[in-house]
Amino acid sequence: MIITLESCKDIPDNELVRLSLENLDYFSCLYQRYEPEIIRYIQRISGIDPDESQDILQESFIKIWRNLNEYDASLKLSSWIYRVVHNETISYIRKKKSYGKDNTSNIELFKNIIMEEPESFEAYEDKINNTLGIIDHIPFKFKEVLVLKFLEKKSYEEISDILRIPKGTVAIRINRAKKLFREMTEGIIS
Amino acid sequence: MDNAEKIIEMIREKEMKPKARWRFTIKDSLSWAAFIIAVLFGALAFSVILFAIQQSDFSLIAHLSHSIFELMLGLIPLIWIIFLVVFLVIAIFSIKNSRKGYKFTSLSLAGFCTALSILLGTLFFISGGARWLENTFATKVRQYESIEEKKTKVWTIPEDGYLSGIILSVGDTTFKMEDFNGKSWTVEFSEADIVPSISIVDGEKIKMTGNMTSGDTFKADKILPWGGFQHRYHGGRDK
Repeated sequence: MIITLESCKDIPDNELVRLSLENLDYFSCLYQRYEPEIIRYIQRISGIDPDESQDILQESFIKIWRNLNEYDASLKLSSWIYRVVHNETISYIRKKKSYGKDNTSNIELFKNIIMEEPESFEAYEDKINNTLGIIDHIPFKFKEVLVLKFLEKKSYEEISDILRIPKGTVAIRINRAKKLFREMTEGIIS
Repeated sequence: MDNAEKIIEMIREKEMKPKARWRFTIKDSLSWAAFIIAVLFGALAFSVILFAIQQSDFSLIAHLSHSIFELMLGLIPLIWIIFLVVFLVIAIFSIKNSRKGYKFTSLSLAGFCTALSILLGTLFFISGGARWLENTFATKVRQYESIEEKKTKVWTIPEDGYLSGIILSVGDTTFKMEDFNGKSWTVEFSEADIVPSISIVDGEKIKMTGNMTSGDTFKADKILPWGGFQHRYHGGRDK
C-alpha cells in the first residue's frame, strides 16, 4: 500500500527514514517528496531529457534504499540524496560519454550570475538562446558548483556534503567558476 | 501506476533489503584503524630518522676528500624517509575515506598527520625505541644496511684520514686499537685534539681524523666519541 505524500507531509525526513526501514511503504513518501527537485537537478547538471532523468532517478532511489542504513542523521537528508543522485548522474554521463543538449540550466545560470538586473534578461533572451552552447564547455567541476549554488540555492555546507569536498574548496570553486562563466559569456551581452 | 508505486513494486519484487548498519560501521572503523596504524608506523619511521641524524657526522661533509654526494647517500636514512612518506600518504588517504573525512583539505590532513607522527616519533626516540627498532630491522632484513654499518664504512678509510674502533691498551703517547674490521692499529695521539667528553681508556669506542703513517700506524689529529651527538656510546648493534 503506497502512502501518499499528503499523509506524510508533516513527518520530518529523519523520522521518515526510520519509518521506511520498518515499513517499505513509507519509502514512497521519500520518493514523492524529492522526485520533482531531483529530476530538475539531474537535468540541470547533465542536460539530458526527462525520460533519461527518470531512469537515473530510479537507479538512485534503489541505491538510496540499499544504503539507507548508511545515512548519517547529522547530515541533511536532502544533501545525502543529492550526493547519491549526483554520483549516479556522473556515472551515467561517463557511460554515455556525452552531456545532453538541454540548455535550460545554462540560461538559468546566465540569469542568476551574469545579469545584475534579472528583468533586463528578457531583452537578451534571443541572443542568449543562440549562443549559450559555449557554456557547455565549462568544466563539469565548475558547472556542478554553479548549479548547486545558484539554481538549487544550496549553502556552502550543503554543497560540501553533496560533493564530499571541504567548504573552503567549495568557496574557491564557486569563485573560479563565476570568473570563468563571466569570461565565457562576455561576448553574449557586449 | 505512478513512479513511487513502480519503485516500491520493484524493490518488493526483487526482494531488495537495505544493507546492514554494521557493514557501514565496520567500513568507517577500518578507515580509522588504517589511519591510526599508518600514523603509528609513520611515527616509528620518524624516530629512526631522528636516530640517524643523531648518529650522523655532518661535520665530515666539510672536509671529507671523497664526494659530498657519496657521503650524503651514506648519511641520509633514505629508506626511512620513504617509509615516513608512504605511511603519511596512507594515513591521509584513510581519513579522507572515513565518513567525515571529506570536510578536511588534503593540506590540513597532511599537516595534522605529520605533526602527530613527529610528536609520537620523538617520544619513541626519547624512550630509546628507535635504536632498538633500527637494530631489529638490520638484524632481520638481510639487504638492509644499518646506520651503524654505514657509519663504520664512512669511518674506516684510513688512507683518507678516517679511522674508528675500540681502544685495547693505552701508553703515554700512543694507544693500541682494533678497527671494526678487526685490524690492529697503533695510534699516535700526543698532538691530537681530544673531545672533552671522551676518555682515552681501554674499551672506549672512538673515531678519529688524522693521517695513516704506515700500514698499521695512524697519527690522530682529532679524536671523537663513536656515538654521534652523544657524550658516550656504550650500546650499538650487537653482532
